[in-house]
Amino acid sequence: MSDIRLVNLTKSYGEGNAVSDVDLAIEEGEFFSLLGPSGCGKSTTLRMIAGFVRPTSGRILIGGDDITALPPERRDIGIVFQNYAIFPHMNVAENIAFGLKLRKLPKAEIARRIEDSLRQVGLSGYETRYQRQLSGGEQQRVALARVLVTEPRILLLDEPLSALDKGLREEMKFWIKDLQKKLKITTIYVTHDQDEALTMSDRIGVMAKSRIVQVGTPQEIYERPKTLFVTSFIGHSNVVDVAVRRVADGMAVVALGGSELASRAGAGLAEGAAAKLVVRPENILIGTALREGDARLPATVVSETYQGAIVRYRLAVGDQEIVAERQNQAHVERFAPGTAVTIGWAPDWSETLLA
Amino acid sequence: MRDEPAVSWPMRAVAILALVILLLPVVIVVLAGLNAGEYLTFPPKGLSLRWVIAFLSSPTFMGAYLYSFVLALVATLISTVLGTLAAVYLSRSRSRAAAILRGFFMLPVVLPGVVLGLALYVFYVTTDIGLARSFPGLLIGHVLVTFPFVIATVTASMVGFDLSLEEAARSLGASPLTAFMKITLRLIAPGISAGAIFAFIVSFGQFETTLFLTVPNHEPLPMAMYISLRYKFEPTAAAAGIFAIALVALSTVVSARLVSLRRVFRA
Repeated sequence: MSDIRLVNLTKSYGEGNAVSDVDLAIEEGEFFSLLGPSGCGKSTTLRMIAGFVRPTSGRILIGGDDITALPPERRDIGIVFQNYAIFPHMNVAENIAFGLKLRKLPKAEIARRIEDSLRQVGLSGYETRYQRQLSGGEQQRVALARVLVTEPRILLLDEPLSALDKGLREEMKFWIKDLQKKLKITTIYVTHDQDEALTMSDRIGVMAKSRIVQVGTPQEIYERPKTLFVTSFIGHSNVVDVAVRRVADGMAVVALGGSELASRAGAGLAEGAAAKLVVRPENILIGTALREGDARLPATVVSETYQGAIVRYRLAVGDQEIVAERQNQAHVERFAPGTAVTIGWAPDWSETLLA
Repeated sequence: MRDEPAVSWPMRAVAILALVILLLPVVIVVLAGLNAGEYLTFPPKGLSLRWVIAFLSSPTFMGAYLYSFVLALVATLISTVLGTLAAVYLSRSRSRAAAILRGFFMLPVVLPGVVLGLALYVFYVTTDIGLARSFPGLLIGHVLVTFPFVIATVTASMVGFDLSLEEAARSLGASPLTAFMKITLRLIAPGISAGAIFAFIVSFGQFETTLFLTVPNHEPLPMAMYISLRYKFEPTAAAAGIFAIALVALSTVVSARLVSLRRVFRA
């Protein structure tokens, strides 16, 4: 159990940087996700922490110890790979014993630990099975058991759910999170799946083009995206062109379709700047649903799509379009295409960011 | 349900014909070795073990057989180690040098054996490093000819080898050497065994390169057979052939059990 510090971690490959100046402090016992599209540098960052990739510059500290120059086998780090990497020529018990034998533990101790760890991952009785006799989910549990049995200081998970089918993925998401909480082991989880990151993490670091662009709790990342990239990568958002009228106290007044609207102001925003207003479809209110103090503007319903739990509206605002999603509940008003409506949102739930 | 796509009748006929043509010499050698007559003729004049016994009791032929066996064994041992190391490097390196090296290592397969043998012989003689017509000199020739086969089979078994297996081992506390020995080597072992058996067969039957490098009075079996036939047209050479064929057939059966040859040749 240790904290992790990444100090200006950089990896360059000839032409460009795979990872640039990554600076992170991950708390002891924290579940931290590195979230980003493929090629953003999240896996390279993980592989540098594991010791498979040598950083071009920067340092890695675990529990205060500088491990930057140590080979993987001396880092005391557990890693679970995307494909689980179960040794195919060894059975489950031998796989789990691998790390313990290298640590020269007594035979009885090894046997006891194998039994305990298999019970922990719910695979008691699987000792003599081989990789080819295990399902994807079972292989993942074995991979976790094999790593956790050596009691590593930190746990690294490299897209561990991406090879599983959807149902199992949902189940494993909560199972891994529960196990991590129980063991209180510092964990870095690499994924391109926002659902996994939002559901499992204590904090998320969003990566794009070799850099960390935002670090925050799932709620901060989802509700207070700092850049347009984060906005577009996490969930769906309306992104519309606006003109900035005034900026004061972290709030901006912007012009959209002839109306002036208040919203939260992103970094570097100034009067007259070209900017984008960001607001999520589920935060857009229509007609009588609007409350006192909400930003309001006139719009026309372009289409209404019934999707069961929600109803989706395309709304014309000036020459731009905004998508709204309303819960399909009792007493919620429905609007036919062509209807002129007033739409709006709580200013605190919208963001104006530099274009 | 059949896994294999149906093969059309004309294709089958061609395949059977090719097989017959390939196997015919083997059948002829075996029958000629069991000849009861005085000379190497076909069809044989009756069957007997006369020439088989003559082979077994001939110091020249038995000596040559043993000599070839030891030579093939040592050459195989060296080729297997070198070829495995080379294949592991070649399949992991992405540098251009690796591609060039691979072509270079494979040269002895493409090059006529006579050319290789002559080149080595001229090299040994002109440099005067004591390898001309010596066992080490002959061994070097056999290693050169056999180790491309090990590279080929081991490379085939490295295709699709998942590097994260080795990384997982490293992360669990294994040194690079331990990870290689306990994980990689164990998983590519079938390819190594197949390569070793190929190397053995190739070395045992090697003639052209050997021609230039043999130690006087220590001829390997193919040379001994050739020399014997030049002076007396006796079926002893054919009897020796039976034993050579038996050894090669045995190794092929063993290798087929160790590794799916189909997988080796597909790569």
